[in-house]
Amino acid sequence: MTWVGRPVPRREDARFLRGEATYLDDLELPGLLEAAFVRSPFAHARLGAVDAGAALALPGVVAVLAGSDLDVLPLPVGGVEGGVVADAGHPVLARGKVRYAGEAVALVVAGSRALAEDAAELVEVDYEPLEPVLDPRAASAGPLVHDHVAENALVRWSRVHGDPEAAFAAAHAAVAQSFHIPRLVAAPIEPRGAIARHEPEVDILTVWCSAQDPHRPLAQLGHALGRDRDRLRVVVPDVGGAFGSKGAVGPEVAAVAAAAVELGVPIRWTEDRTENFLAAYQGRGLDADVELALASDGRILALRAALYADLGGYLYATTAVAPHTTAMLLCGTYRIPAVDVEVVGVATTKVPTGPYRGAGRPEAAFLIERMVDIAAGELGLDPAELRRRNFVPPDAFPYQTPLGWTYDSGSFERCLDAAVELGEVERRRVEQAWARAEGRVLGVGVGMYVERAAGLWESADLRVEADGRAVVRTGSSPHGQGHETTFAQIAADELGVDPEAVEIVWGDSGEVPPGIGTFASRSVAMGGSALVVAARELAARATQAGLSVAELAAAEGGVEASARFESGLVFASGAYVAVVEIDRPTGRLRVLSVAAVDDSGRIVNPLLAEGQVLGATVQGLGQCLVEEAVHDEEGQLRTASFADYSLLTAAELPAIEGRFVETPSPLNPLGAKGIGEGGAIATPAAVANAVADALAPFGVRHVDPPFTEAKLWRLLR
Amino acid sequence: MKPAAFAYDDPRELGHVLDLLAREGEDVKVLAGGQSLVPLLNFRLARPDRLVDLNRVEELAYLRRDGDVLRIGALARHADLERSEEVAAGWPLLAAAVRFVGHVQIRARGTVCGSVAHADPAAELPVALAALDARFHVRSARGSRTLGAEELFLGFLTTTLEPDELLVEIEVPAPPAGSGSAFVEHARTHGDFALGGAAAVVAGREARLALLAAGPVPLRAREAEEVVATRGSFPEAADAAVAALELTGPDADWRRALLRELALRALERAAA
Amino acid sequence: MTRQIAVDLNGLVVEAEVEPRLLLSDFIRHRAGLHGTHVGCEQGVCGACTVQLDGAPVRSCLLLAVQADGHTLRTVESLAPGDGLHPIQAAFQETHALQCGFCTPGFLMSIEAFLRHRPDPSEDEIREALAGNLCRCTGYRAIIEAVGLAAERLRGA
Repeated sequence: MTWVGRPVPRREDARFLRGEATYLDDLELPGLLEAAFVRSPFAHARLGAVDAGAALALPGVVAVLAGSDLDVLPLPVGGVEGGVVADAGHPVLARGKVRYAGEAVALVVAGSRALAEDAAELVEVDYEPLEPVLDPRAASAGPLVHDHVAENALVRWSRVHGDPEAAFAAAHAAVAQSFHIPRLVAAPIEPRGAIARHEPEVDILTVWCSAQDPHRPLAQLGHALGRDRDRLRVVVPDVGGAFGSKGAVGPEVAAVAAAAVELGVPIRWTEDRTENFLAAYQGRGLDADVELALASDGRILALRAALYADLGGYLYATTAVAPHTTAMLLCGTYRIPAVDVEVVGVATTKVPTGPYRGAGRPEAAFLIERMVDIAAGELGLDPAELRRRNFVPPDAFPYQTPLGWTYDSGSFERCLDAAVELGEVERRRVEQAWARAEGRVLGVGVGMYVERAAGLWESADLRVEADGRAVVRTGSSPHGQGHETTFAQIAADELGVDPEAVEIVWGDSGEVPPGIGTFASRSVAMGGSALVVAARELAARATQAGLSVAELAAAEGGVEASARFESGLVFASGAYVAVVEIDRPTGRLRVLSVAAVDDSGRIVNPLLAEGQVLGATVQGLGQCLVEEAVHDEEGQLRTASFADYSLLTAAELPAIEGRFVETPSPLNPLGAKGIGEGGAIATPAAVANAVADALAPFGVRHVDPPFTEAKLWRLLR
Repeated sequence: MKPAAFAYDDPRELGHVLDLLAREGEDVKVLAGGQSLVPLLNFRLARPDRLVDLNRVEELAYLRRDGDVLRIGALARHADLERSEEVAAGWPLLAAAVRFVGHVQIRARGTVCGSVAHADPAAELPVALAALDARFHVRSARGSRTLGAEELFLGFLTTTLEPDELLVEIEVPAPPAGSGSAFVEHARTHGDFALGGAAAVVAGREARLALLAAGPVPLRAREAEEVVATRGSFPEAADAAVAALELTGPDADWRRALLRELALRALERAAA
Repeated sequence: MTRQIAVDLNGLVVEAEVEPRLLLSDFIRHRAGLHGTHVGCEQGVCGACTVQLDGAPVRSCLLLAVQADGHTLRTVESLAPGDGLHPIQAAFQETHALQCGFCTPGFLMSIEAFLRHRPDPSEDEIREALAGNLCRCTGYRAIIEAVGLAAERLRGA
């Protein structure tokens, strides 16, 4: 009997259900003090003196630290392949200037959070307000956000392949569309947070951090604090959701860590919801102009695109990743011979952006899938048929796109067929015809996607004890995905033991081997594969000795193996169908159904995989229906609470049906790809196509998300 | 997000509450259900010197039918209204409206009088009460007075209550014999703040209509009621309901259309 | 300026001296040391801090600790008998109704009160009852299933 492939309920659930999980704010340390931040009320200002006199006079206030009080470097900036990235790392506390409303200017340490907030209100800061820079399309002409970054271009990347100019000149038809994809807030229900404790006698700084893994905080804090990794330990406790937003470490974490060393006291920062809205990096935020050149039979001859990413005031290590990924995935599931794609990542005076579930992939899917539907409208072809004429065929893999990435495997047409069936497209089209005759506004939309997943490397240490129990130390790290169950399933199969005999250790840099972490839907494909490699090494040794692994472990008093698994990128894919109806008098959009077909390669646990699909799909629906981070003309975030930035509730949930197509990846021993993001990638594209389809009789070709009542009502008039 | 410090009293008797409210030189706020006030405290948008907590004043914790009228004491909670069989039978509009108030956890704690005193034009019960011609009984150490909705609601989150006054009871007359009622609302998500809404009570050509999120105060649409009385047309009444609204902002055109549609639906459902 | 309070918390009386401004959520977590109740927004929207006050589900972030003086509080720690799981908790595990788990205790305390009043709810009633708790991970479908499953079992019990 094998465990991989079975819908095993999670074994870690009991501690969460009984209220016994340990999240960051649940940790108790003796003498722990609490932190609050003084944050800039201005989007863009020169920073003058910081006067902490009144704050320090409050009983119970231990310290107030400003940027000049900390001997630290800005957080590190990360690059992208083939791109140029400016040196504009996020300062730990603002220096000289503030570049978004909510930027941390000073840190207050006190005996309680309430007291720290009392004191933060008393810190007086001189600001000289400057003109905000808000529109990424106009930013090159605005005031410089960073004096050394010309035209406010923080990131530049471009690629031309084939002869797009000739293709457009010779095309039967061409279509062009401009897009605006708003910023979003990841909004994990647990905000961010950290505890830092320095032990001067051994000079070890321990940072407990609500993060997606210990490795990146370790590297980024080490850089900012100038601290070697052997004097720094990062521990990730249970994490209440991340969705990409706890990947790069926040400046607040570095500030608390530096202050703990400076002051010699342990300090906790538990982010509140307001801070999370104002200061946690946001997702998406992209303007784009896209063109397709088309042959008369519907073949796509060339793609041209200019992307303007609204990156905010600084670059995190991962800020450049999303727009680069968008660019690299713009061909989607299609064979397009010629491309000309340019990305400008623009400095604006808003909180920086970073990865949020999908991280560039939803933008790519939205752009290319909308363009394909627009092209189908132009040519009078069925949108599904146009897709079929352009798919990368199954025999073309591995397939290198003209943008440069190589798709490992895929079955795009099978996915589309399955989604058309599951979404009952034919029946819905009939229903749509009736509905239109009655004056109702119904739409059906398809959205394909490819998801870059995995890549780089991951590690696993495996020890099988003499009594047969196995301990897996993984560089991968859970925040809701269920590693303790899926990794145990993998180990159980490889070792021939029950999953209950497998313990999974994660999260503590002092305990686990070096690794990369949990993001980009990479845990099973990379961390799981590292575990497989380690287990197979033990199995080979056992076989050589003519024993089972358990027998070998018993004979040798325990056996160990370590593995580092490396692979190229793998590409999950899929097809989604959405059916929507718009209420004419009010403009309200109702999503009636979503059919989700995901090809994530081999599925380790269908129950958990389905959970990922459902969760990602509902996040995608939120982006269609209600979610949008809105800044006003002063650069203030107008949607800085759950009262203004709504998340969907159980009452809004439409019918969602999912199905898996399993095209194994040839790049790892599990054949796994990624499952964490597909729903968030494809749902907005499918819903956007359904909305445009619904509105087609009203002469509407395109609508940007979110599809709010007011927007749709105006289009229906 | 922790409140700034405040002094706190939780008196047992109404007289003591009124004495505390009469104290000069302090910004005193009344704490009832706290479902609107405590978020403001947590955001530090409200920073009273003193909170006077009504929750231990048992004489205010009542919801009862008294002859033809419903009496809602200052500590009657939304959940009391929601569960009351007398309310369901005699004042179905209130029973319908209260289910739109936040969520069950909010209704367990929030009070009807507190919602009225908060005077949010997007709140459900002030609008339903306005449509039912409710009377608002106010007490202070100086004496007492009784107000109608149009005398009570002054502006956005503002009433004509003086700082020393407490809304102690809402008296709701029975709806007209043979009337039907309906409450409709439009929000982005379930329990989210309403973007528009309407409460209607209809008996033949006698209609009462009040609108939610249609201006700075819970709004009684008298013009629309007049149109129903004189012309008997709900669509024309809905037009009249929104014709005079002073709506501002980028979505004012949509909000007017939304309110018209909701007014129409409320009238039609109330008459059905 | 502090007050002495005594709260029946999961059957044990917890006494403490608190500032009036101390939120009930912070009292439960940091004074009584029960960490199962979580704080997600402190404005009464997310529902992660839902506990039962005298049997009714309430937002503990919208109550002051002093208001709980003399009252009965139940938190997620009171649900499961011994080392086991309450039928609602078991249904959550079976249907995969939790991922990161941070919102879960709030859901459980809402649902336990709901099913006491509505032992045989329709799916629409379940959805409405759940709407006061936000979950960012699961997409809710499994939670709706879990409530139906738990209701069925509790009725049978």
